[in-house]
Amino acid sequence: MRKHAQRALVVALCLLVALAFAGSMMLGPDGLGLPEGGDALRLVLVEIRLPRALLGLLVGGALGLAGAALQGYLRNPLAEPGLLGMAGGASLGAVIAIHTGAAGLLSFALPLGGLAGATIATLAVVLLAGQGSVPVTLILAGVAMSSVAGALTSLVLNLAPNPFASVEMVYWMMGSLNDRSLEHVFIAAPLIMVGSLVLLSTRRWLDALSLGELAAQNLGVSPAALRLRIVFGAAMAVGAATSVTGAIGFVGLVVPHLLRPFVAYEPGRLLVPSFLGGAALILIADIALRLLSPAGDLKLGVLTALIGAPFFLWLVLASRREFGA
Amino acid sequence: MMAIWRMAALAGAVVIVCAGGIQVRAHADAQGRPAQRVVSINLCTDQLVVDLVARERIVGLSRLAADPVLSAVARRVDGIKLVRGQAEEVLALKPDVVLTTAFSTPEVVALLRRIGVRVEVIDMARDLEGIRTAIRSVAKAVGEVERGERLIANFDRRIAAAAPRSTHRPTALAYQVNSLTAEPGGLMDAALDAAGFENLARVRRLGPAGRLPLETLITHPPDLVVLAHDPQQFRTAMADNLRHRAFRNLLQRRHHLYIPMPLWLCGTPALAGAVEELSRVRASLMHAGVGSPKAASAREGAGDASAIHQ
Repeated sequence: MRKHAQRALVVALCLLVALAFAGSMMLGPDGLGLPEGGDALRLVLVEIRLPRALLGLLVGGALGLAGAALQGYLRNPLAEPGLLGMAGGASLGAVIAIHTGAAGLLSFALPLGGLAGATIATLAVVLLAGQGSVPVTLILAGVAMSSVAGALTSLVLNLAPNPFASVEMVYWMMGSLNDRSLEHVFIAAPLIMVGSLVLLSTRRWLDALSLGELAAQNLGVSPAALRLRIVFGAAMAVGAATSVTGAIGFVGLVVPHLLRPFVAYEPGRLLVPSFLGGAALILIADIALRLLSPAGDLKLGVLTALIGAPFFLWLVLASRREFGA
Repeated sequence: MMAIWRMAALAGAVVIVCAGGIQVRAHADAQGRPAQRVVSINLCTDQLVVDLVARERIVGLSRLAADPVLSAVARRVDGIKLVRGQAEEVLALKPDVVLTTAFSTPEVVALLRRIGVRVEVIDMARDLEGIRTAIRSVAKAVGEVERGERLIANFDRRIAAAAPRSTHRPTALAYQVNSLTAEPGGLMDAALDAAGFENLARVRRLGPAGRLPLETLITHPPDLVVLAHDPQQFRTAMADNLRHRAFRNLLQRRHHLYIPMPLWLCGTPALAGAVEELSRVRASLMHAGVGSPKAASAREGAGDASAIHQ
C-alpha cells in the first residue's frame, strides 16, 4: 500500500517535472512560442533555452535532494544547504575561482571551487554543531559560516579590479538562470549527478537512522561513512549547482517539508521525491519569473525566497508549538 | 547618462550625475588669477581637467583617472597625485578649486565647502550638447575659457566630419555586461545617433538600465552589434552573457564593433572618438548594402543565410 503511494507520488512528480521542462523550453521573452527559421531556432532552443531548463532541473533537484538528506541525517527540520553555509561557501569558492582567473584557464575550476567551498563550510558546521544537535546550535553554526563566507565573498569582489564585481554580489546572493550556456551545464552536471547519486545511496541508512543512532549502528550503519557520504554528496551537488547559478535559497528547506507527509515521514523515501520536487519548483519558479520580468531583472532567488520565507516562519511557529517553548 | 552613472557606481568610487541648476561660481581668485592648484575627485571631471588645464596646475585627480579600462587620459596622468576623494586627502593638496559631479559623495562636497574650499559641481553630460556645456563649466571654473572654446570647436569639427551622409539609419545595439543596453538618453545612444544609427534599445523602448534578453538579441539582431566591453576583459559572472555561445555565434554572423569604455563612459570630447569609429563602420555597412530598405527586405526573405559576414 505504502509502496503504491510512493510510486504514485514519484510518477506524479515526474510528470510535473516533464511538464515544467517542456514549458520552460517553450517560453521565450516574448511569451510562449518558438522563433522561426533554422539557425535562429537551433540557437534559441539548444543554446539558450535548453541550458536554462536543464540547469533548472539539475540545480532544483540538487537543492531539494540535499535538503532532504541533510534534514534526515541531522534529524533536524531546519537543516538546508543555504542555512548550513553550504551555498555561501560554494559562492565563495566560485567567486575565488572566477576572480583569480582559475575558471578562465580551466572551466572545471568553477564547480570545483564551489565544491571546495561547500565542503569546508558544511564540515565546519557539522563539526561545530554535531549530529542530532539542538536546532539552535545548528542554526548558529550555519549563520556563522554563512556570514564568514558572505564577508569573504564581498572582500574578494571588493578587491577585484573590475567595475562590475559589486553587482555580482547580488547574483551570488540571489541566484539566476539568466544567460546560462551549455558550457555551464557541461561543467556542473557531472558533479551534480555524482553528488546526487552519493546522497541517494544513503537512503537505507537514513531510514535506519530515524530509529535512533544506536539502532542504526546495530543495523550496520557506520556513522563515519554516513557522515562522509552526506557531507560530500551534498557539497558536490550543491557546490556545483551554486557555482553556475548562484545561491538559490529556500528550495532545499521547503521541498522536503512539502513532500514529507506523502512518504510517511521516512527520510530515506523522501530523497527521490525531493529531487523531483526541487526540480519542479525551480522550473516553475523560473517560468513565473520570465512571465513577470521577461528582461531578466528579477532574480530567481528573490522568488524562491518570497515563497520560502513565509514557509520558514510557519515552520518556526510549528516547531515552537511542537517543542512547547 | 545612466550608463555612466551605473558604471561609476559600480566602480564603487566617484559617481556622476546631472543635477540641474548648479551655477559655476567665479573662475578666478580675488586677484583675477585663474586657480593655480586644481583638484578633481571624479573620473569625468578628471578627464576634462586634463584636457583643459596645464599639468603643473593639476595637483590631484581621482584614482580612476589612471585606470586605462575606464579613463581616456590614463596615459597622461603620470606624476599627478591620485586621490580616493576623501575630504582629508583633498585638503592636504591645498586646492584652489575642487571639481566633481553632483552624485559623487555629496558628503565630501558639503564638508569641503564648510571648511571653505571652493568646490565646483559640474553637470555631467547625457548628450552632445551636455558635453559642450560641461566643457564650458570646467573651463570657466579653472579659468581656461578660451581653451575650452577651442576644445569645443575641435569636438564639433570631429562630430561634423563623422555625421552620416545619407538618411538611411541602420540599426545598432550596444550590448553590455549583464545584458544591459545603451538606453535612450545616454551617451552611447547619443554617439549612435550622431553616427547615423538607429539605437535598437530606443526602438524597443527599453528604459534606463534597460536589459535585452539574449534570446531577443539572437532572434531580432541589429545590423551592428556594438560591444561596449571586451568580452574577455572582465573576470566576472556578470560578463557571461558576452561569452555565451549563442552570442559568440551571433558575432560571427553579424557586424560588430568594440568601443572601449573610456570613449563613452564620461561626457568628454573622447565621445567624438566613439562617433568616428561608428561612422567608419556605418560607411562600410552602407557600402555592403546593410541597413538599406532593399537589403533589409532581402535579408528577411532569405533568413540568416544572407546575413553579411564581417
